[in-house]
This record gives sequence, C-alpha cells and structure tokens, in this order.
Amino acid sequence: MSTNERSLISRFAMEVVTGCIALLAGIVVVLGALEYEIGWDEAGPQPGYFPFYVGLIIIVASLGVLVQGFLNRSRTTGEAFLTREGFKRVMAFFLPLAAFTAGSYVLGLYVGTFVYLAGVMIFQGGYRWPFALTVAGGITVFFFVLFERWFQVPLLKGPLEAFLGIY
Amino acid sequence: MDNIASLMHGFSVALTMHHVLLMMLGVLLGILVGVLPGLGAPNGVTLLMPLTFSMDPISAIILLTSMYWGALFGGSTTSILFNIPGEPSSVATTFDGHPMAKQGRATEALTYAFLSAGFGALAGVVLITLLSGWVAKFALRFSSPEFFAVYFLAFASFIGLGGASPFKTVISIMLGFAFTAVGMDTVSGNVRLTYGFDELLRGISFLVAVIGLFGIGELLLTMEEGLRFEGVKARVSPRKVFETLLTLPRYWVTLLRSALIGCWMGITPGGPTAASFMSYGLAKRFARRPEGFGQGREEGVIAPETADHAAGSSAILPMLALGIPGSATAAVMMGGLMIWGLTPGPMLFIEQKDFVWGLIASMYLGNVVAVVLVLATVPLFASILRVPFAIIGPLILVICVSGAYTVDSAAFDLWMVLIFGVLGYVFKKLDYPIAPMVLAMVLGDKAEDAFRQSVIMSGGDLSVFWSNSLVSSIMSLGILLLAWPLLTRIFRLLRPGRSTGTTTA
Repeated sequence: MSTNERSLISRFAMEVVTGCIALLAGIVVVLGALEYEIGWDEAGPQPGYFPFYVGLIIIVASLGVLVQGFLNRSRTTGEAFLTREGFKRVMAFFLPLAAFTAGSYVLGLYVGTFVYLAGVMIFQGGYRWPFALTVAGGITVFFFVLFERWFQVPLLKGPLEAFLGIY
Repeated sequence: MDNIASLMHGFSVALTMHHVLLMMLGVLLGILVGVLPGLGAPNGVTLLMPLTFSMDPISAIILLTSMYWGALFGGSTTSILFNIPGEPSSVATTFDGHPMAKQGRATEALTYAFLSAGFGALAGVVLITLLSGWVAKFALRFSSPEFFAVYFLAFASFIGLGGASPFKTVISIMLGFAFTAVGMDTVSGNVRLTYGFDELLRGISFLVAVIGLFGIGELLLTMEEGLRFEGVKARVSPRKVFETLLTLPRYWVTLLRSALIGCWMGITPGGPTAASFMSYGLAKRFARRPEGFGQGREEGVIAPETADHAAGSSAILPMLALGIPGSATAAVMMGGLMIWGLTPGPMLFIEQKDFVWGLIASMYLGNVVAVVLVLATVPLFASILRVPFAIIGPLILVICVSGAYTVDSAAFDLWMVLIFGVLGYVFKKLDYPIAPMVLAMVLGDKAEDAFRQSVIMSGGDLSVFWSNSLVSSIMSLGILLLAWPLLTRIFRLLRPGRSTGTTTA
C-alpha cells in the first residue's frame, strides 16, 4: 500500500469495528435461539440448540479476532483500510447503487434500471442526454423482453407498469 | 471396468444436439461472466440458476457446468490481456501471463493458458471417472454420524488449512450456519431467528447471498481500486496457436505436478484459488532455472492454469459422491441439485445413473468445446472490456440485482443483496474467507439434520461420533485439522530457531 495517500480509516480500526459487529451478531443469534428450548429432550436437541451454540461460537471467535487485532495493533494502525481517494470512488459507486435499490423497491426494477443507468451515464460518465437516454432505454427494453418474454421470469414491477397495464 | 461402461452410457445421454447446443451457450455465457469484473463463476452460475428451475436436471446441470468451465477460461483471458483477474482463481496467472502479453507474446500466453487449463480439467474429469464409483460405494456405508463427521471434516479443513486467521474462518462459517437457521426449522417445524420480521420467514437464500458477496462485493472492490482497462491487443493467429501447442509437451513435469495439486485441492475443499497459488509457488521453487518468474515465464502461466482447472473440475467429485462441494461454485451447483429435487450423495449414483454419468461425460466434451470456443472468441470478448466502465459497471450491477430478485421474486431480497454486498466488501478487505460461509449456507441444514438424527439414533449420546472405526477416524482427522493452527504455533515456540514459513496457500 502506498503511504502517500491519506488514510481515512486504519485497518486496525476496521478490524475492531468488524470484530464488534461479529460479537453483536453472535449475541443476536444467541438471543434468537433463547426464544426456544436450547436443551435436549427425548427427541434429541431442541430447536434452539443448534443456533444457540452457533451464536456462542461466533461470540468466542469474535473475541479472538478482537484480541488478535489488538496484538497486531502496531502493524495495522499505520495500514489504511480505506484512503480518502478510495472512499470517494467507493461512494461514487455505492450511493447510486443504494438509490437504485431504494428506487427499484418502490418503482419496480425496470424504471429503476432506466433511471439508474441514464443517471450514471450522464452525471458520472459525462455522456450527452440523448445518447444516455437511448442506451439506457434500449437496455431496459432488452431486459424486459429477455426476462418477461424469453425467460418467463417476471421482475419486480411498480406503479408505472400498472398504469400502462403491462402485467 | 464398470466405470467405463457407465461413462459410455453417459456419452449417449450427453451427446444430443440439444445438450451440445446448451453446452456451447453455457461456455459462451461463462466466458462472458468470467471476462466481466464483478461477475465470476459462483455468481454467474447463481444468476442462471432460476432459469433452470423449469428445465430437466440433465440439461440444467450441463448448462451450469459448461458455464463454470467458460468462466474459468474467461477469467484467465483478462488476467493475461488486461492484468485484471476476472476470477480470484486466476490472480496467479497475471504474474507471468500479463508480462508475456506485454512482450508481444499474448497469443502464446493465451494458448498456454487455455491448453494447460484444458489439460488440468481433463485430469480432473479422468479422476472423477475413475474414482466416483468407488467413492460412492464407500459412501454407501455412511449413515448420519458419518455424514456429520464428513461435514465436520470439510469445515475443519477450512479452518486448519485455509491460511486466513482461524477466528475469522470460524466467524465466516458460523455466520453461514446462522443464516441458514433463519426461517422454518425442518425437524421441529418451528420458525427460528426471524425476530418478528415476516420477510425472514422464507429464510435467507444462499443464492441471494452469493450474488451479494461475490458480485456486489467484488464490484465495490474494483471501484475502489479505480479500475482502468489498459489491455494488450489480442490477435490470435491459428498458426501461432499450433506452434505453441507443439511446445507444450516440453513442460510435462509442470503440467503433471500442477494437475496433481489441483486435483487434491479440488477434492479437499481447498478450492481453485488456493490450488493455483500453491501450484505457482511450487513451480517457482522446483524450476531448474528459478530466475525470470514474474517477468513472463511459460511455466508461470501453465502451473496456475492447470491447477486452477483441475481443482475446478475435480471439485465436482465430492459434491456428487458425498454431497460436499469442493469450491464455492460447486456449492452453488449443489444447492441447485437440491432445488431440482435431487439429493447429492452416494444414492445419486444408484438412483440417477443417467444424471451422474451424463454430467461426467459432458465434462469431457464441455472442456474440449470450451478450449475451442475460447480460442475462437478471445478478440470478441476482449473488445467488451473496451466499452467504458461508466456503462458496463452499472450494467453488471443491474444484472446482479435483477438476478437476485428472480431467485424468490421477493422485493425484500433487493435489500439483502445490498447488505451482503457490503459484507462481502468488508470481509474481502479484512481477509475473512467468503467461500466457507457459502458452503455453510448450503450445508447448514444438512449438517444440523445429520447431527440431530445421529443423536436421536444414539438416544442423546455424543459417543455415537466415535462408535465405529470409520466415523471415529473421520472425526479425529477433523479435530486434528481444527487444532492444526494451534499445533504449528506450539511447534514454533518449542523450536526457537524458527524455520521460515512455507508458502501461504
């Protein structure tokens, strides 16, 4: 890793955060398992048995990760998990992705796809409006034919399709 | 020779026009997903899976396995031409493959890569042909405790031999188990770990998880590195290919050694990625002239490619015979088998002869088809990467998200993909292994069932896992592997002279 790029989050911090999240996940699993009997009856282990121990092992292992993280501290504090540049690039991809997911959830996947592709091409790719809209429209129509007609696997649809009456 | 007769029968099943066409389609789709960054074999196969639900199992598995071969080939193409591994397992191919391409020997590098990959794959298939009948017969002696012991061994070997921090591997596996426990419990009929969310009643689909972990996670990583395709032009002339072919036998030692490593890593769940690195490392160590590696040595391409494909194809053997997949992609395919209504394991060889031998026969054919097709289409697929990433990146993403939706037609899965994508990204960056989690998600229910059935059989006595020599030797081997990281550490403490570590697999 090059050291000239400014580090945003150190690897050490991220190891600790991830270890804590794993710990939390383990606790959540154990709590979920405790909604049922975790012991044994005449039919063998009860429903909570397996998840309970799975959760317990996650807790132990995440403590292990945390201890290891602190032991390696001197090496990993200097190491960048994410640089400022890297963060910008990831977010430039992730934020539209999150918007695409949220939009598709409400408007359906076809509308979401069209808006997302066109938006990314115009605002990030620097393409002209007519070109971007044509490409995005073409791909969306192709997907529609591909999934709905050829594969016969319907995708998620929203209000627009309902309004147009195509499903 | 029972197996040969069965294989001939298999050829009669696989060699129909319909199947050969599916094979070619699968290979082409596979090369496509292999070439595109962010789409690889595991999630390529996953994306295609919902389309196979309505097919008959033989056609479906031929389509999916052909896609697997294609993806492995596609991954090496981008490694050599663009220095961008299309697949994690073709990272080692970039070391010498790309330098060769830059020196104007792209055709040579590609030909070596494809031919040695074909050789490795065939070695794997021959191994399957010879061993599968025997392994299945052996596995027929298994009952629930033995099956649990084998699952245990598989996961223990990830922990013991995986190379990552054992704690991280454990977390990855156990999270996988926890994810499969969500939803209906198959034994008691209770609904577990849903925390009152109706959306979780269906459980968490491993297909959705794979698309998120491998697809979105990989894309995020690619974006962070600020991807730029600076490729080497590829013009594949048939004459050059033929000339290169004639020089291939010179490297027979490397070919054989790498094929052996690949087969071993494929059968034990080491997987193709570990196999290719290990093979590269050994080729370097045993080379008569050790200099020049990393600057375009032929062996540097041949060794990882052979091992990669040998591991990829031999991973099918434990999947069919024992119900334990040797790689992430094989895990996905095994999930498919179960969705199609087949039970992987020894009974498959008795009840579904057509399926098993048709598949094995198709693997011979599929790999030959793949070598020819990939050589013919390299320029075409290389040109795909010249499409600006502002178009192709979002397009891959849309395919991933749409594909995840088709798994269950559940809008909630759109969010699941996103969550698994972030998880995959963080895990990759912090060296948490992802393949064990996928394996745990596919095997979780089966492992739990096997455990519960065993203790029901024994009336709650855990010594059932040491009740006969077979199960106790498998369990002991598993425990040994589990303790392996600890043992090596103790050895090192006892010997303060500290020998240098071996290559990281």
